[in-house]
Amino acid sequence: MAEDNILSVRGLHVDFETNDGVVHAVKGIDIDVKPGETVAIVGESGSGKSQTMMAMMGLLASNGRARGSARYRDKELIGLPERQLNHVRGEKITMIFQEPMTSLDPLYRIGRQIAEPLIHHRGMSRSQARARVIELLKLVGIPDPERRIDAYPHEMSGGQRQRVMIAMALANDPDMLIADEPTTALDVTIQAQILKLLAELQRKLGMAIVFITHDLGIVRRFADRVYVMRSGEVVESGETESLFASPRHSYTKMLLSAEPTGRKEPPVPDAPILLEGHNVEVVFRAGGGFFGGAELELRAVDRISLALRKGQTIGIVGESGSGKSTLGRALLRLLPSEGAIRFEARDISNADKGEMRPLRKELQLVFQDPFGSLSPRLTVGQVVTEGLLVHEPSLGARERDRRAIEALKEVGLDPVMRNRYPHEFSGGQRQRIAIARAMILKPKVVVLDEPTSALDRSVQKQIVELLRDLQKAHGLSYLFISHDLAVVRAMADYLVVMKQGKIVEEGPTEEIFDNPSHSYTQTLMAAAVDQTRFRQLDLHTG
Amino acid sequence: MFAYVLRRFVGAVPTLFIIITIAFFMIRLAPGGPFDLERPLDPLIMQNLERAYNFDKPLWQQYLIYLGNLAQGDLGPSFTRRDFSVVDLFRTGLPVSIRIGSLALSLALVIGVVLGAWAALRQNTWVDYMVVGTATFGITIPTFVIAPLLSLGFGVMMGWLPAGGWGTWKHMVLPVTTLALPQIAIIARLTRGATIEALRSNHVRTARAYGLPSHVVVGVHALRAAILPVVSYLGPAAAALLTGSVVVETIFGIPGIGRYFVQGALGRDYTLVMGTVVVIAVFVIVFNLVVDILYAWLDPRVRYD
Amino acid sequence: MTDINPAMTETQIPTASAAAGRSLWQDAWLRLRRNKAAVTSAFVLLFIALAGVFGPWFSPHPYDRIYPQYVRAPASLEAYPKEDAIVPAFESAVARARIEMGETEVDGSTVRVPISDGEPLDPRIVRYVDRSDLFSNARIEELSDDGRSGVLAADVSRIRFIFGTDANGRDLLSRILIGIRISLAIGVLASVMALLLGVTYGAIAGYLGGRIDNVMMRVVDILYSLPFIFFVILLVVFFGRNFVLIFIAIGCTEWLDMARIVRGQTLTLKRQEFVQAAEALGVNNAGILKRHIIPNTLGPVVVFVTLLVPKAILLESLLSFLGLGVQEPLTSLGLLISEGASNMRGAAWLLIYPAVTLTAILFALNFLGDGLRDALDPKDR
Repeated sequence: MAEDNILSVRGLHVDFETNDGVVHAVKGIDIDVKPGETVAIVGESGSGKSQTMMAMMGLLASNGRARGSARYRDKELIGLPERQLNHVRGEKITMIFQEPMTSLDPLYRIGRQIAEPLIHHRGMSRSQARARVIELLKLVGIPDPERRIDAYPHEMSGGQRQRVMIAMALANDPDMLIADEPTTALDVTIQAQILKLLAELQRKLGMAIVFITHDLGIVRRFADRVYVMRSGEVVESGETESLFASPRHSYTKMLLSAEPTGRKEPPVPDAPILLEGHNVEVVFRAGGGFFGGAELELRAVDRISLALRKGQTIGIVGESGSGKSTLGRALLRLLPSEGAIRFEARDISNADKGEMRPLRKELQLVFQDPFGSLSPRLTVGQVVTEGLLVHEPSLGARERDRRAIEALKEVGLDPVMRNRYPHEFSGGQRQRIAIARAMILKPKVVVLDEPTSALDRSVQKQIVELLRDLQKAHGLSYLFISHDLAVVRAMADYLVVMKQGKIVEEGPTEEIFDNPSHSYTQTLMAAAVDQTRFRQLDLHTG
Repeated sequence: MFAYVLRRFVGAVPTLFIIITIAFFMIRLAPGGPFDLERPLDPLIMQNLERAYNFDKPLWQQYLIYLGNLAQGDLGPSFTRRDFSVVDLFRTGLPVSIRIGSLALSLALVIGVVLGAWAALRQNTWVDYMVVGTATFGITIPTFVIAPLLSLGFGVMMGWLPAGGWGTWKHMVLPVTTLALPQIAIIARLTRGATIEALRSNHVRTARAYGLPSHVVVGVHALRAAILPVVSYLGPAAAALLTGSVVVETIFGIPGIGRYFVQGALGRDYTLVMGTVVVIAVFVIVFNLVVDILYAWLDPRVRYD
Repeated sequence: MTDINPAMTETQIPTASAAAGRSLWQDAWLRLRRNKAAVTSAFVLLFIALAGVFGPWFSPHPYDRIYPQYVRAPASLEAYPKEDAIVPAFESAVARARIEMGETEVDGSTVRVPISDGEPLDPRIVRYVDRSDLFSNARIEELSDDGRSGVLAADVSRIRFIFGTDANGRDLLSRILIGIRISLAIGVLASVMALLLGVTYGAIAGYLGGRIDNVMMRVVDILYSLPFIFFVILLVVFFGRNFVLIFIAIGCTEWLDMARIVRGQTLTLKRQEFVQAAEALGVNNAGILKRHIIPNTLGPVVVFVTLLVPKAILLESLLSFLGLGVQEPLTSLGLLISEGASNMRGAAWLLIYPAVTLTAILFALNFLGDGLRDALDPKDR
């Protein structure tokens, strides 16, 4: 049995020596990979899933140590001298990484970088290698490969760079390809393309793929077998179908149910309109500085109209650069914009900072990155009560403290921790603090700018539930900005799809999900919600 | 490329102009003058001298005259060395300074980069600690301490090398060493930091993940990225080294141009001081340009615009 | 690695110190205390600074007092004049009285010699001894009953020059102490000057941004390309060598880096979400600057200042070395090194002691600065 495996990991440990003592990142795990199969290793951040593969490939940071065994066919990889390891990596086992923007050397043309493994492992000459590189670029779907082979990485988009990495990984016809979150940094539509490409290539070339990911959707569509990792241990493994159908370990169950569920009911039809934008337009200008240079105009938000009712949640969906965050900020008058904006029927299109100040109490904002949105040198208590200093300056310190306790309790945090500093909290806790900061002012409208996308799935679900509870309790209206359709579906009763600063489609959430009319919306939906397995899909289409 | 160089030179003109203007008026508005000797001169002679050097004209006219002469490459006569024009002084002194400076710079570049890269590759070993320790030493101790100590040690006490003077290659050893030491230290530190950062970067991880031999990983992928900050540093450093060091030239008695500025300023030798300012400013501008071109050649992300 | 166990610990982090948080400053302080080089440097610096501030008051020699008889006296723990110089001088003085002498003894600052003569001793013979520069208060003790023998004693004023004396006969230790005082004072004052100028300029440019920032930074760029050290030299040469001018001139040259750093910081901070969050709360500019911008720029600024002080000291020393610094009889470490360099043949201590002192100060400051940077900016963790 074990002879069939091209990779068998036994009792692998990875330790990191840090200033705060030894961190045990991987705690004795076993993993098997058979030729040609797709294995997914699933886990949330910090579960040790990447470090397992790094240890095997001899790529641990200098303070990391690996113990145990990882055999590629009959070759023990752990402790193998670098010179011999170099006959395996890049030739038999290759890797693609999470960061397509930085994984290629910015100083060399891509052709040269793809050629390097060919030259060093196969002994090809430069011209032989060049011919092969063009072939590979064609294979991974880079248009005009004869010309693009001489491009520098910075001249390509993220998706294209990931294709280049894949070309490099395939150069020597490897036995096994390790893909470490290869699509996490990409937009959903690009994600789908890359995954499809990988599936096709595997079918064509027959290598095994080890897929490291946190995204269960990808696992279900892609993998034959799954290992679920948590805190450095494999808690459960098995065939994808059976594991998804009947998970045994509580952590797996929790992960599987982590997708936010439930639907938001629309507000009563005659609910008053709170915030309204008419033909809102935001233009960024670059260049045209002191010493000339052509002025560049970027129309980030292009004449958008929108009306948010009391108790309503409008979901704004789009990929990066679609202008959805800019729209949210413009509606709160945090960015200069053209067009009319009204709050409670009062025109605030031209309100200046001073005029907006009293309204800020009603109009709040929660950010995406909970690590960047809390001032690092203030205590949590100070962070949460900062708005009270502005809007209720008459409150005494004791009363502010009482309100802070109340607000922290409401978002599910222990108020004892209000004297601690943000860096002492986890991402999910920080996002709760950020929500408390907005809620303490009892606002009417809250713009939520990707509040869950920096968080692990299981935490996402908790935050979504918290936000819904708060909405119910206080009758809030939300503008929910996100690229994550699953989350939007659970949060919003009305959906706006944006692309390049324009609305391409809008309507009640369920209607759009059931029957997307615009082609862009369809691509988005297909990329994110489709649960069909890629291979089956390929069988039908190809 | 050519258009870029041209544009940069045109862009440098206002900077040069501002430097010259500030220097000119600062020097002229300061108390004292080149003919203030211990014993006052005969008023008539004074008058003749002033006329000969245009000092009787209003200051702005003198300024325009100076600019006019400068445009023709004439830096005027020296006031303290009556028999020489400022251009003559530079013609003899500049080659000496450039010779010492370029030797020191090449030495520093080679040794600094090698030491820095070596330390980075052996991070947290005795090699690394030694290089870092020595570099801190080299950066901390000022030249005016190193120079006399070297002169005392190797020249006076051991007698291996001349303690000062100019002539044979032996005379160059100590001054070049003095000039090179701090530069070696700075370059080694820069290289070490940049190499460590490069070794941790994702693209070096990619190169290692694809089984490239370590000389390729380090030599091709890490060092090219690591050399970039060194290149940026070289511009101002080269300009400073090649235009002579007042400390080194004073202590070792070298006939370069490094001493002219202080001597000129003390003796109110207006033209000599102005000449030094012009020469140094030109060097700074030229070397910054050279470095920018070099940088763009090394890093394709930088464009000439 | 923050959400290691999200499901269970989401709302409860380990409660060991739940109530009292550890701020970033406290974190930095703990890290700094673990850095042995930085802690040692801090103590060395403290010692040198105390010596510079209080030393001159306790030193037995005023820094400008000239001892003409002890020009270029080598450094020695033994007091001057040395015993082997006292005895011959004393004996030759006593010999002039033409009396019998026994063994001369030196005891601290008293010299004694038993004397005798054929007739009663003339008390006036003490004048022979008093006439010498070295001795004073000569007297005859233990005069025998017949007045023919006794002990001739005299006081010698013995002075210690631990670091020796300079070419003018001034105590080097006292001069080094006053030099430390001047160098540190100029270093600190110039840095404060650069700090005020740079922080104000940089923060204004960075916070206002846009066109104003453009113009302000263009000015800094142009100033950067000026050979500033030469302007300092010109200033000092033309407008006199006084203390205030020197530190203002140095401060004026060193503020550019500070302005750039602060502006860069402000610009990054302004784009940070916590500043936007404060804007969304309606906090006014003053509140944002006070609670969000300034506390977060402080770290890099503190680090930069510790590295600025040695730079300023170095610049001052260079000026002094070139003879453009403070004026005699006041002195600074650079001036002392310069004098040492010109006297190094035959009086190496004049170069070595000031050089060692300056190097120690610069080293300590650099190590402390590096330690602070590591403590405040723990990127490598």
